[in-house]
Amino acid sequence: MVIVKTSTGEKHHIVITPVNTNDYKTITKKRYFFDWKKENIFEVYKLHLINSNDILGLISLQRIPTEWRVHVRLLTVSVENQGKHKEFANIAGNLLAHAAKIAISEYAELACVSLRPKTEIAKHYMEKYHMIATGLTLSIEVPEILNLINRFDHD
Amino acid sequence: MTKAYRNSNTDPEFGVDSRYPSKTAYQSEATALMEARLERMINMSKDQVIRAKLMQLKFKMEEFIKQPVYEQHYFFSEFLQSYVDIIYSKRTVFAKDIGTTPVKLSQIINNHRPPQDDFILKLMIHSERIYKDVCEFQKEIWYQVYFHEKLCNTMSTQQEWKPKLEQEVYVSEPIVKYGENKK
Repeated sequence: MVIVKTSTGEKHHIVITPVNTNDYKTITKKRYFFDWKKENIFEVYKLHLINSNDILGLISLQRIPTEWRVHVRLLTVSVENQGKHKEFANIAGNLLAHAAKIAISEYAELACVSLRPKTEIAKHYMEKYHMIATGLTLSIEVPEILNLINRFDHD
Repeated sequence: MTKAYRNSNTDPEFGVDSRYPSKTAYQSEATALMEARLERMINMSKDQVIRAKLMQLKFKMEEFIKQPVYEQHYFFSEFLQSYVDIIYSKRTVFAKDIGTTPVKLSQIINNHRPPQDDFILKLMIHSERIYKDVCEFQKEIWYQVYFHEKLCNTMSTQQEWKPKLEQEVYVSEPIVKYGENKK
């Protein structure tokens, strides 16, 4: 999986791994927007460059096996990677693709990844990631979920 | 996240708080979502189901080779069986496609004989062609799974083979412990 340096267009390889207890010392609200310590009872993953411990994005997930669904509770990119002057692009996309891989790995053709964003940003996720709205919930299922994985899960 | 910050931020990817505000909200939204999904699932094609299952199989193999699994389990044959059954309605057709006999295939799937190199190589070529239009696939993963399983099984049964073999192994020219040769 790769992210793109916006200033040069260079691709950089990344890995997404579970957040460990020590990581929470560096995950501040100032840089990562939310109080991530409260999420430590859930599955939280960090995105970082290979050979670097600097966390560029975070996602918190909840598996709901009875509904063949993985729900994204929180998602963020670090402060320097948001807005017009972001250092790297595709961080959020890679994090969503990671959730999609877990969903496919668990539930195959029944897999679903859901989000419940604020109304003003829902449109972005529908357009960019082809998520479908059902009331306040956005979801991505087969076949779009396979396309999302293929879009991001490569070198 | 502060309200002022949220209002000043225009990037929709800066962060998503997607937590359900209450159990009631979760329940009603989950029910609506499930109803809508079930409607959509009716229209899912056989091809889409196969693609999803093949991708699942790939992730399961990748997951398996990442970490040691200290239990005696036949992962290679389990993955092979899934692979064949996802694509073919009859295993005999797959056997014919890779130039083996249904009996040999059945013996490999049921762990009555180990796969020969020739079998794994043909399986690699077959899966490379199948996955070409599904997702990125490292064909050598079949070998990795096979040898990882062998390694894990060997290590998990140490108590059975090690005591006997230890009697048969000698070190007649030992390396001196570091530092001791200075004395």
